[in-house]
Amino acid sequence: MSEEVQHRMAHTHLIFWFLFSLGGVIAALLIPVHVLIQGILGPLHYVLVVDRHYDTWVQVLGNPLVKLYLLVLIAVPFYHFAHRLRYLLVDFGVHAAKSVPAQVVFYGGAVVMTFVTIWVLLTTVPIKLG
Amino acid sequence: MPDKKVTIHATRYDPDKDEKPRLQAYEVPFYDESMVVLDALNWIKSNADGSLSYRWSCRMGICGSCGMMVNGTPKLTCNAFVRDYYPRPILVEPLNNFPVIRDLVIDMDDFMHKLKAIQPWIIRKQEMPLGAGEHRQTNEQIDDFRQFSQCINCMLCYAACPVYGLNDEFLGPAATALARRYNLDSRDQGLKQRLPVLADPEGVWECSFVGECSVVCPKGVDPAKAIQQTKLDTTMRFVLPYGNRE
Amino acid sequence: MSTEAKAALREFRWHMPANWWTRNRHYFLYVVREFTALPLALWLLWLLVEIKRAGDGPTRYAPHESTAFVVFSVIVLLFALYHSYTFLSLTGVIIRLKVFDRPVPPRLITLAMFGAWAGASVVIGFVLIWFAR
Repeated sequence: MSEEVQHRMAHTHLIFWFLFSLGGVIAALLIPVHVLIQGILGPLHYVLVVDRHYDTWVQVLGNPLVKLYLLVLIAVPFYHFAHRLRYLLVDFGVHAAKSVPAQVVFYGGAVVMTFVTIWVLLTTVPIKLG
Repeated sequence: MPDKKVTIHATRYDPDKDEKPRLQAYEVPFYDESMVVLDALNWIKSNADGSLSYRWSCRMGICGSCGMMVNGTPKLTCNAFVRDYYPRPILVEPLNNFPVIRDLVIDMDDFMHKLKAIQPWIIRKQEMPLGAGEHRQTNEQIDDFRQFSQCINCMLCYAACPVYGLNDEFLGPAATALARRYNLDSRDQGLKQRLPVLADPEGVWECSFVGECSVVCPKGVDPAKAIQQTKLDTTMRFVLPYGNRE
Repeated sequence: MSTEAKAALREFRWHMPANWWTRNRHYFLYVVREFTALPLALWLLWLLVEIKRAGDGPTRYAPHESTAFVVFSVIVLLFALYHSYTFLSLTGVIIRLKVFDRPVPPRLITLAMFGAWAGASVVIGFVLIWFAR
């Protein structure tokens, strides 16, 4: 860095970091219990879990609050993953991961995931109130 | 005391003769339990090889000039006791992540530019006349920044930072810690001047919180904390309504 | 060219070795921490597929229970716990709170984060199991 460098506020980086933190907190608070129960205890039949049976799974997925919760659980952490994996590439010497196209690919990928999640949640099981 | 000897492997690099740095071994008498690595280097320079170049000054962890890699870890050599390594040999190298000028001497220009860029002094919108008296501060106000003011610019944190090692455009730990020291000072009004430097694309955002800067700091400063808090504060200024107020 | 610039050319430039992250335990643990993103992302993709499969209808729906899937989940759980532990521990370092002009100790903030983690896990676990009846 030389003395002539013009400094500027990086608003995009600020937004990336904000979404990274938000996704990190959500992933930290919510993911382990899902993996434990839906990924291990349920398949091993230690406990009965909602996604083990079609009826209960559809019943739960129809609830709009559950849909909203699943949107937060699945979509937001992808902004965290995108940020971490992009910087991990930088750490491994892939300088191109710092470029604007790389930013578009990684954070754009997270945006795509948000829309895919919304689409899946709205199209698989219709919203049932009550 | 019997003639205990410790082996020092020191980096040698003469830009006129050497293609790249090499190691040279010296047998140094381990004459005193309180002997530090800097004492060993001084013994070499006085008794074995006067051409060995390195920086040092105060010998008491204040000046911050004798930072080197000791067995791969950034240390103030005046604060690295030979007894902690003996009888194993000690590898002394110039600080990582910086260009080497000669032997154990690194080029610190880049850090000096960064230090200047964050304006590490109290900035007032309007200087108060001397007659107006002191700027008073409570103990609590001093506690807000006291820890960050301990920095002695020794650059050990830069040598420990892989982000800086990969990209020397990164503003880095000590400069951010010092910026925060002034931003948190109740007498200072220079946040708006420092923010473009701190929140630059090569500023705090590039830090991925490895945290090693805070581990190696010989003065107990926590630059990793300064950087993350700067990210959070800066983000909140823009995310919260009215967050951008003074 | 200035003498300074000539001197700079003769300096030995630093090059980060590609294996830098294997040279120090802290660096290695940092890379593991960042890598947690990949298994967590894969598991969330699986969850999305599980939700999508609910649209297959009652006769074709069969939940995953292969050994491979359980092994995958166990590995993901280890990474998930490491992410939670590191991320929530570090929040205590970052968040600065003052209550009645007194700074809240970072350990208390970290403790509150772990409390929130436990609370959220109990509530989610309850919902996942209770509504399976």
